[in-house]
Amino acid sequence: MTNETLAQLKTDGLTVTPRLGENVMRVTAIGTVEMRDPGETLTPYWNGLDDEARRRGIKRVELDVKDLNYMNSSGILTLVRWITRAKAHEGADAYQLFVYYDGNVTWQRTSIPTLAKLAPQVVVPTEING
Amino acid sequence: MNRPPLSSDYVEMRFGPRWTYISSVRKFVASFFMIGLADKERAEQISMAASELLENAVKYASEEEGYLKISIAKAANEVDVCVKNEAESHHINTLRREFALIHAGEPEQIYLKKMEEAAMTEGQSRLGLIRILYEGGAKLRLDINESEVSIHAIFPLETL
Repeated sequence: MTNETLAQLKTDGLTVTPRLGENVMRVTAIGTVEMRDPGETLTPYWNGLDDEARRRGIKRVELDVKDLNYMNSSGILTLVRWITRAKAHEGADAYQLFVYYDGNVTWQRTSIPTLAKLAPQVVVPTEING
Repeated sequence: MNRPPLSSDYVEMRFGPRWTYISSVRKFVASFFMIGLADKERAEQISMAASELLENAVKYASEEEGYLKISIAKAANEVDVCVKNEAESHHINTLRREFALIHAGEPEQIYLKKMEEAAMTEGQSRLGLIRILYEGGAKLRLDINESEVSIHAIFPLETL
């Protein structure tokens, strides 16, 4: 199994680390997203991961937000943009986005299932407590 | 000026509209109400609302005015988070429209619709108020007194 590391993002209290496994991209986000305009940094970063997943023909992307303590609504919008982009992919470009969240963290328990409703065929919310 | 007596579950802060303060206030409010309510979920909802309202206030406060104010008061059956600031008339009109929009239907459907619309356009998310309404389960009230804007997020406690 490969465990290749893609470019990490470190910005304003947030660290995002993507890793490539066999036919899977695992992305871990740690910290908080409460900068004034997270879209400036996060949207191009998520787009880059989306491009990389499609380039490699990956069918499963896992986003782990369990250690993301807080995300403001502008940060949530960056995930909306990613999901909207992923929803538009067809055929060989299509992948599923599994979002792992902690049901004990209020923003995660309320926001992640709501985001999944935007694209139920693409986003799979997965609750992992603790 | 006569002011009503303050309960022990009351916080008021006044500070310059600086983005970097918002995170500190959010964490303080969460800790304060974790103790006061002994309910982690409600404390996190209240602190989320405080943070979203403060973000709006910092973004849209008129530049001449030097401060914004947040007060959070717990009454017998509700917690009222209020953020007050001065704003330009065009921002006040935008707020009025936003309030009408988010109260025009079922909150989840409006939230999802606004997400889809926001994804298609550049600029601010404008998801903060509907997030408070839908995710926080709060009621929102807008009070305008000339150029002074107060937004209340009111959390019922009887549903706990």
